[in-house]
Amino acid sequence: MSQRSLRDRILDPSETALAWALLTPAILFILAIVAYPVSKLLFNSLFDVRPALGVPITFVGLDNYATALSDSMFWRAVKNTLIITFVTVPGALVIGLGLAMLANMPFRFRSPIRLALLLPWALPLAFVGLIFAWFFHSEYGIVNDVIRRFGGEPQIWFNSPALTMMAICIATIWKTSSFMALILLAGLQTIPASLYEAAEVDGASKWTQFIEITLPLLVPSMLVALIFRTLTAIQSFDIPFSMPGPGEETQTLAMYIQINTVDYLDLGYGSTLAVFMFMLSMATTFVYLRYVRGDKD
Amino acid sequence: MRLNNLFTSKRLRWFAAGIVLFNGFFPAVWIFFTSLKNEVELTAKPITYWPQNPVLTNYIAAFRDQPLPGYLLNSAIVSILSMLLSLFISALAAYAIARLNLKRRNLILTCIIAVSMFPLVTLMVPLFEIMRSLNLLNSYVALVLPYTVLNLPICTLILVSFFQDIPRDIENAAMIDGCTRLGALWRVVMPLAAPGVFTAGILAFVNSWDEFLLSMSMNAAVAYRTLPVGIQMYQGEFSFPWPTISAALVIALVPVVTVILIFQERVVSGLTSGGLKG
Repeated sequence: MSQRSLRDRILDPSETALAWALLTPAILFILAIVAYPVSKLLFNSLFDVRPALGVPITFVGLDNYATALSDSMFWRAVKNTLIITFVTVPGALVIGLGLAMLANMPFRFRSPIRLALLLPWALPLAFVGLIFAWFFHSEYGIVNDVIRRFGGEPQIWFNSPALTMMAICIATIWKTSSFMALILLAGLQTIPASLYEAAEVDGASKWTQFIEITLPLLVPSMLVALIFRTLTAIQSFDIPFSMPGPGEETQTLAMYIQINTVDYLDLGYGSTLAVFMFMLSMATTFVYLRYVRGDKD
Repeated sequence: MRLNNLFTSKRLRWFAAGIVLFNGFFPAVWIFFTSLKNEVELTAKPITYWPQNPVLTNYIAAFRDQPLPGYLLNSAIVSILSMLLSLFISALAAYAIARLNLKRRNLILTCIIAVSMFPLVTLMVPLFEIMRSLNLLNSYVALVLPYTVLNLPICTLILVSFFQDIPRDIENAAMIDGCTRLGALWRVVMPLAAPGVFTAGILAFVNSWDEFLLSMSMNAAVAYRTLPVGIQMYQGEFSFPWPTISAALVIALVPVVTVILIFQERVVSGLTSGGLKG
């Protein structure tokens, strides 16, 4: 075949058509599983939709939103969600950075270290919740055992909302810090050793090197990891669900949405709550993107 | 200099490795120990660390009290189906984005990645209603379709970067030899991008395997429960049979641990490429 016909094939205008044909399944899936449901969600949030009661679907305007704003359970769920977010995101970053620094040392056998960082990432959140619920068991849990051995007062963790939140946050930080560590470790390994050697020659201390070289160069990988970590923290469900405190004191927004939708079949109100969740996520993304952009200017 | 010696000393490295290993493995090890303890030992005070008289009765109970093999099978079916489907769909999309004559390819890729910014809880509400009205609650479809979309962003991202690294000449040569574009994708590009396909596939598998909220909401019936949901069912209203739960957890951990043991390097490269390039 001649060179020309190959050129023709590659520059063939129908190639664009082929490209769109190949993109079609992805687009259809996103339309069906994301775009259409979201439009339905916004629509439902303006209606009274309770199929289990047999009441007809009626337009209620912004009533659901007004209900949510005066719903103390909604606010408690938002508060719990924000506590988990503001504690576990920085917590996972700090612990993750520590793990990454430790794992970055020149070990001869890297595989066990890598596995130790991968295992918490690969464990289902629901398992982690159960495992830590067992750690914090008031009678036979290892946490109270250690407290006893050090002469402290063992706690009945899941009888107190504050202590339950603490246990939930510890479990969440353990689960998420190793993913953070993997991302930061990859970032650490891209920092050229020559920078440290130069700093060494200039007589900079290890601490100065960490503050002046390591941290600034890690910022890009940190930001990406932080966006995703924050978005998942806002959606916290599995771990708080598996580590319930007294009553519904430690319910998160995701748990409240799930109960209203699936258990109470109150689809209108569930949709409204989900819209709030959506707004919270979008606000987070917006703040981060703004910060990232502002950082580059 | 003394400080530097301390930092690079062998003892400090052992100490660092100890912390990382303890942090990563302790919960799994502790659950394994718990699963070997009998009722008497479990309620001993102070608690024992090392199991004194290891027993396997908890494993028998784990299979007796709940249909554990069924849960494992459901998880495997849902995870494998959604993995294959998301690989297929994202391979086509990634090829179009990486290779074909397409305007605004970066915008299209960004739109696909933006899907991962979307809160799953928000999607769960309308999806639950849709699946309910289509009579698809308690079916594999109710999970496979949403999981496929959830996996689409990371799979597309990974495959695009792998496709871009394959020299165009190899593809062109295949087409000179009479392959069509799609033939070249299937016979040449995909095999050469096999590491990327593996990486994307493993991440998709683990994501689907771990998902809890949708699974619990859509498939509450015993016959369709996946592992993370089924594991929660051992507890009674007032009882928490911890040794049995521990035994079930240990069994449930085997597939995931196997996957990360075999594919650890692929998983790490996939996670970090997604993290660094995204």
